[in-house]
Amino acid sequence: MKHSKYWIGAGVLSLSVLSACGSGGGDSSSGGGDGGGEEENYEPDSSLEIVAPAGAGGGWDTVARSAAEGLEKEEIVDQGIGVVNREGGGGANGWSYIHNQAGNPEYSFVASPPLLLVPLNGQSEYSYEDFTPLSNMIADYGAFAVTEDSKWDDLNDLFDDMKENPDDITVVGESSPGSMDHMQFAKIAAGAGVDPSTIKYVSAQDGSALTNLLNGQADVYSTGITETVEQVRAGDVKVLGITAEERLEGDTVSEFPTATEQGIEETFVNWRGFLGPPDMSDAEIAYYEETFKELSESDYWQETRQSYAWEENYMDSEEFEEFLAEEEESMQDLLDEVGIDRGGE
Amino acid sequence: MGTFDGILSGLSVAFSVQGMLFVLIGVFAGTFIGMMPGLGPISAIAIMIPLTYNMEPTVALVLMAGVYYGAVFGGSTSSILLNAPGISGTVATAFDGYPMAQNGQAGKALAIAAISSFAGGTVSVVLLMLFAPLLASVAIVFGPPEYFALMLLGLTAIASLSDGSTIKALISAVLGLMFVTIGMDSQTGTTRFTFNNSNLLEGIDFLVIALGLFAIAEICNLIVNRKKTIKNQGNIGSLKLSKQDFKDMSGPMTRQSFLGFILGVLPGAGATIASFIGYITEKKIAKRPEEFGKGAVKGISAPETANNAATSGAFVPLLSLGIPGSGTTAVLLGALLVLNVPPGPLLIEEQPDLFWGVIISMYIGNVFLLILNLPLIPYIAKVLLIPRPMLISLVIMFSMIGVYSISFSTFDLYLLLAFGVIGYLMKLYNFPAAPLILAFILGGMMEESFRQAMTIANDDLTVFFTRPIALSMLIVALLSFLVPIIRQKKTTSA
Amino acid sequence: MFRSANKMISMILIVIAIFYLYLAFQIPAFATGMFTASTMPKAAGFLLILLSIFLFFIKEGESEEDQEKRKEAGQHIFYLGGVGVMILLYITLLEPVGFILASTIFIFLCSLFMGYRKHIVNAVTSIVFPLTLYLVFTQLLNISLPPGILPL
Repeated sequence: MKHSKYWIGAGVLSLSVLSACGSGGGDSSSGGGDGGGEEENYEPDSSLEIVAPAGAGGGWDTVARSAAEGLEKEEIVDQGIGVVNREGGGGANGWSYIHNQAGNPEYSFVASPPLLLVPLNGQSEYSYEDFTPLSNMIADYGAFAVTEDSKWDDLNDLFDDMKENPDDITVVGESSPGSMDHMQFAKIAAGAGVDPSTIKYVSAQDGSALTNLLNGQADVYSTGITETVEQVRAGDVKVLGITAEERLEGDTVSEFPTATEQGIEETFVNWRGFLGPPDMSDAEIAYYEETFKELSESDYWQETRQSYAWEENYMDSEEFEEFLAEEEESMQDLLDEVGIDRGGE
Repeated sequence: MGTFDGILSGLSVAFSVQGMLFVLIGVFAGTFIGMMPGLGPISAIAIMIPLTYNMEPTVALVLMAGVYYGAVFGGSTSSILLNAPGISGTVATAFDGYPMAQNGQAGKALAIAAISSFAGGTVSVVLLMLFAPLLASVAIVFGPPEYFALMLLGLTAIASLSDGSTIKALISAVLGLMFVTIGMDSQTGTTRFTFNNSNLLEGIDFLVIALGLFAIAEICNLIVNRKKTIKNQGNIGSLKLSKQDFKDMSGPMTRQSFLGFILGVLPGAGATIASFIGYITEKKIAKRPEEFGKGAVKGISAPETANNAATSGAFVPLLSLGIPGSGTTAVLLGALLVLNVPPGPLLIEEQPDLFWGVIISMYIGNVFLLILNLPLIPYIAKVLLIPRPMLISLVIMFSMIGVYSISFSTFDLYLLLAFGVIGYLMKLYNFPAAPLILAFILGGMMEESFRQAMTIANDDLTVFFTRPIALSMLIVALLSFLVPIIRQKKTTSA
Repeated sequence: MFRSANKMISMILIVIAIFYLYLAFQIPAFATGMFTASTMPKAAGFLLILLSIFLFFIKEGESEEDQEKRKEAGQHIFYLGGVGVMILLYITLLEPVGFILASTIFIFLCSLFMGYRKHIVNAVTSIVFPLTLYLVFTQLLNISLPPGILPL
């Protein structure tokens, strides 16, 4: 409340300065600026609300909660910040909630590749174009793991076998077909010349994906890098390749070869960023860009990135939007190749 | 560091002032959150995560374990008193807990739940301590064919979940299977029966069905009988258990501690399935199965022992393999990552004080739970003395907030009301609700594992017969389905 | 009409099963194998028809108690329906009006409708309970509930 009064006050003040200038003499230069203070600098007048379009404890929730914690701890935002979980529809419920908040710039939500994939699969009526990209924060990459005693030693071994006998090789992942774990594998495999529609993908939740790799039911586990580290250290599995452009830094992860260095020119980025409701003004976007930039550079965020093994990948609103457009196009092409066309947008 | 040194350093962690204090806080907070409508162990732990950011990993994990236990226990209170299961693991507790409470023995029912939880928790922690590294290999034995057989085995118990007509029980179960097919199909991502409504995309939440069929349907019953009062009001808070009660409890407490623990070890099976299977097996072997459903001591003891035992069982794959076998342990895994303790196969070896510290705190947590809760029971039980007209309004609000705090959508509230109506009609026409709930829980996993098995085996049905564990479970399933029917036929024709 | 409740229910269930099956046959098949997204729904639909047919023909005498139960429910239909309508209003008002206010109104009116006559106790309860729960959820547990029109 205090803040809104302050800003109204500032607005009135700058208006009066302007009018004073106007009456004083015709050619007042840039001093007064154009427009009131509210237009130039947006500052929220009530607490910010970050929506995690999923339940407590998941990936989106973790990003939302640590971002909120960071923004408060580092005193980047004076207003309070609330995290709201809007679960359901693989994100669709949360997205439609935000879409209804047009004109309320206090709202934003955490997003990652499912924001592109879910609408492409025809499971949400809103796509990224219905929102305002604010900033991307981090990147994470996929890893393809096999058991330690597996006959494959690199991705090319695996993909060569796959080209010959696709029915003999089961790929397991957590997400549903057409979503992340499936698509990241399909993308790299397609880059190596495997027909993506022949990939035998099984979706398994509740930790049974890794179980099924260990007990031999599945042959390849498509997942995130973090999920594989401890298993590799214990010597139970080996990682054939990761989807990053370059090798990562860190104790175990630096040993993971990229697909690129094995001659497969493909990457897959699991980006995590923030978007807001549709039709936000430039001033509002600028406010968020600045806020998230400051968070991204803070000590708190650096520590958070380290503990979750996230890579820094800040993008401002414009870069983020371009990136999303490219990603969407490549995902659509890939889904067509895999043979999933559900008539989504 | 050897195992013995590990246990010693674990003891020193757990019995430190700090360790004890955080177990106590955790247990208390967990019980409190678990009693809140709709909030179970998952939300309880998620709520605690920000508090642990700057804590020492062992202390944080001790706190989490306490919260986990407390929340599982706290959930049974609303099941018993209001027929309103706050979480899926305590649905089976309502079957006999609510009738007993309605007989004016709410205190006794809560005491049985508390003591059984204690037994299940304690025995399983000992098992966890002795066998965790060994059981790691058991946790991964089950592939899709085995899960399919296990779910089918659970489903065949449906006939035994009702006292009336088998046909009606089976119809209930099929309706449960139909409800679980609503939403996105896990194996293809296709939407089924969603009518293009995004609220239905992830399916109907379990709690909506459970609260609708149990709590709201029971509210209808209370509305009709709103002028009546509960029997034996004077003894409502009494904890007194007779010698016979303890005798009745001893069987389920021993058996279900083991069975529940094993089911908890299997990723994906968890406390809910353990509690149902616990209830069913005790009913099957009971001398007087007809008492079940009417307030039987064993009927409360079995699911409460089993769900607590399963809770510690779920720690086996988490701590020994880094595999989260349930939604709750998945959140715990996230919490461990934040603390820079990535759980994996090397955890026990590299961080023995953490591993043993947690195990010993779990044991202390159980003791605290019991001493904390027994004295509170007489007061909690008094909820039932609230005049019925007021109780009706409060339970409705309680159920509403429970569902709303999960999805934050009013759509689910309308669904809740709809299931309440369905539940009441089922009550009036003698269709049992338990088979519907059981089929809803097991059906989804059954279909998923069947289709996974078929994809992996390229549609070769023989996988179910060539794998010994799957095959033997299928045989037991067939027998447990046919034997009661044949027996029934014989008695009716005779 | 039908002679017994079972026959009537059996017919209703068959209609439901047919509608369900109709939808099940519309599910597109993406997988190439034998078992697709529509396999289990189809099986469940046919099973329901089969069981309903059994239900139609079983001769199961209903006890007096069962019929009494339904008769009694019929007598109270006004109250059952009334509470149902109140719940509907409660749900509709929850988000626009806010959790505290909607719950307060609901608890007070519903208890009154059910025959609770101690108005002061009723008023106090219907304010204290929602307020406490609201504070516990939003402040202690960090779970937001709709604040609605109250200036919180």
